[in-house]
Amino acid sequence: KFAVSRRYVLCEVVSEDPRCRQCIEDRAVGLAVRDAIGRVHGDYGLACCSISFTVKYLNAYTGTVLLRCRKDFYRLLCSALPFVRQLESRNQRYPCALRTLHVGGTIRTCQKFLIQYNRRQLLMLLQNCTNEEERRCIQKSLLSCSLTEEQPQSGDEEDDDGIE
Amino acid sequence: AQPAGSMETPEVPAATYERRVVRSGAEHHYLRVRLELPDGGARPSVAQFKQLVVSALRELHGEVGAALPVDVLTYEEKTLSAILRVISSGLVKLWSALTLLGFYQNRRCAFRVLQTSPFLLALSGNSRELVLD
Repeated sequence: KFAVSRRYVLCEVVSEDPRCRQCIEDRAVGLAVRDAIGRVHGDYGLACCSISFTVKYLNAYTGTVLLRCRKDFYRLLCSALPFVRQLESRNQRYPCALRTLHVGGTIRTCQKFLIQYNRRQLLMLLQNCTNEEERRCIQKSLLSCSLTEEQPQSGDEEDDDGIE
Repeated sequence: AQPAGSMETPEVPAATYERRVVRSGAEHHYLRVRLELPDGGARPSVAQFKQLVVSALRELHGEVGAALPVDVLTYEEKTLSAILRVISSGLVKLWSALTLLGFYQNRRCAFRVLQTSPFLLALSGNSRELVLD
């Protein structure tokens, strides 16, 4: 009768090594996060956070990752994210860090935040542009980004019961 | 509820006492535990005992658990019993970690918690081990 409450944690993969981008895939990120939770919170924390843990969305170009976990244990997950040190994929590992951008109760709130965040990032890139061609490209992207209102799908949304 | 506009109610004097309700109790909890090593092998020293407790916490609760302030107040190597002190918020973590510890240096072992109390004085007597003549 009670809906399962989940929290969605939006984070960004930050790395000095540009080759790290090829490691940003859901299996590698999921393993790295679970390994960090296991180190910081032990078997108990790993088991708690693994209930309905998944990497919901990934963008290798921007390094954006959306993680999902149970609402009761999102603090364990968030406190373990700074301890992710490297991503490993296809026998290659690169050092990186995870920056937490937003914690939301539904995918939609995280999506709204991400759009605003990306818009701000594009503005900053616009200021740092060096040549006219890049400037025009970025201006075009900025003017075309928007949130299209879709019909809400059942089973996809939960009530946003507020974040502590 | 005071009716609005009444100017004649006298001022209530400030309270002369302060009442504090402490629901959380003491800040430390004390446990009397005994380590059972059924094989008659070498007994751990006090440092190895503490290392065992911390490694049990690290297995179950990770680095956060291993950083819990746990102290071994007394230790008897002959009976392998000890009195542990832990911060009250960490009692559940410590007790669960001791319960689920199964091995010491690849030897089967078990922790038995004999007494627990927020007051150290309460551990001095144990009515369960009372011998009635």
